[in-house]
Amino acid sequence: LWGIIRNNSCYLLKGNGQTYSREPNNLKSKNSFRYNGLIHKKTVGIEACKDGKGVVLRTRNPHAKGKPSKTYTQVELKKGGRKTLSTIRKVIRGNRYRKDLKMAAVRRASALLQSQKPVTV
Amino acid sequence: MASVGIARPLVSVRGLDGNSTGSNVALPAVFRTPLRTDIVRFVHTCIRLNKRQPYAVSELAGHQTSAESWGTGRAVARIPRVRGGGTHRSGQGAFGNMCRSGRMFAPTKIWRKWHKKVNIKQRRFAMAASIAATGVPAIVMAKGHVIDNIPEVPLVVDDKVEELKKTKEAVTLLKNINAWGDIEKVINSKRFRAGKGKMRNRRRCMKLGPCIIYKNDNGIVQAFRNVPGVTLMNVRHMNVLRLAPGGHVGRFCIWTNGAFRELDEIFGTYRRASSVKIGFRLPLTKVQNPDLKRLLRSEEIASVLRPSNRRCGRRSTQRKNPLKNPRVMARLNPHHSTLKRNKILEDERNVIKKLKKSEVGKKVVKKPVKKDVLKGGKVAKGAKVAQKRVK
Repeated sequence: LWGIIRNNSCYLLKGNGQTYSREPNNLKSKNSFRYNGLIHKKTVGIEACKDGKGVVLRTRNPHAKGKPSKTYTQVELKKGGRKTLSTIRKVIRGNRYRKDLKMAAVRRASALLQSQKPVTV
Repeated sequence: MASVGIARPLVSVRGLDGNSTGSNVALPAVFRTPLRTDIVRFVHTCIRLNKRQPYAVSELAGHQTSAESWGTGRAVARIPRVRGGGTHRSGQGAFGNMCRSGRMFAPTKIWRKWHKKVNIKQRRFAMAASIAATGVPAIVMAKGHVIDNIPEVPLVVDDKVEELKKTKEAVTLLKNINAWGDIEKVINSKRFRAGKGKMRNRRRCMKLGPCIIYKNDNGIVQAFRNVPGVTLMNVRHMNVLRLAPGGHVGRFCIWTNGAFRELDEIFGTYRRASSVKIGFRLPLTKVQNPDLKRLLRSEEIASVLRPSNRRCGRRSTQRKNPLKNPRVMARLNPHHSTLKRNKILEDERNVIKKLKKSEVGKKVVKKPVKKDVLKGGKVAKGAKVAQKRVK
């Protein structure tokens, strides 16, 4: 699958000698096998909540194959920085769920939370 | 993805309301065809040429004059010139391409080869592969279709869809299946075409939406054809250009129950050849189980490998040059130090030897050599010897 998608997807962004991938569950927006959000049976996605506060953690259900509506489980994490990050860490580490993405997930979440803070002059 | 042999899961059929009706269909074997995007791209580009209409310049263009060169001696270029008025016009068979109103270089002809012939086997392979790609949600999403909330991929709908007459009903169906998102994407992508196509009756363009594949047209075509982005195909007359638009696999397809079941007839299964396509069997994969991770961890392979050295010793962060660093040299070649020592000792011995020899001479030399000696006067015995040596 990666062989098909790696060079050829609607999410692929190339330019200025850089390559990015815009698909929703890509933690680093990097076009790479490890970080790709479409290919793997287990993916971790972190997005901002729609109302602008908090972060949504999305994990993929490895058993729901071919059912896009049931593939993802979403959890809204709104309790604030420390709690959010530790929840993410626990979910990933505790369930042994894509441990290689743990730091990337935490970093993305903290970046999002940081951007949601009111700008201090 | 890892295709476990030829496993054929059940796909549930959705009703018009979007919920699953009771029935299931086994996934047709076509969906297990190897995803050969290279073949699909090749076949796509070739087939896309086949709808071309020839274009050419008029045969007479640029030749409808009787012109002759004025020859030399007239202080003008020797290009054939139009008689009479004498304005620069190209002549018959002349090098008219540089002249205004001349014939172009190599006028385009209608007997250019417009179409490309593709082997049937390749065409069928491409068709099978593009259908297979339709069944992989990742590929469909990577193509850009909005299928986040669809109940299942591949999406199969009850045969009652084929009897829909009204576009309104069609829209309701698409909304019930949660396929409407893809169509919204299409609507939002309506824009003017870039380029000259605007002037050539191709003014607007938009993205492609779902492809609906049916078995019998009892109104479905008329119901769906006005929905933006939707393409309709009869199972029996499917088109690679629609299944893999742009040469890229993974169009979002909606099948009717009857059409889905027909696929086994049309393409055959791995057990029986196709009844419709004569001589066609589904292409086999080169590698049955392409999942490397699983292969490497499987018993058959792991039992033959030596246990992995997870951390083959720490990598030294700094490489030390044995030629300069005696310790490293000693580590690599223990004999080196003895060689070196022997060499040093030998050198010392040689030095001592030389010293001894030259000491004899040196003793004489150290004695102040009197001028008498140099003049060749009476010299002590040793001095004579020294002189010899000094020479």
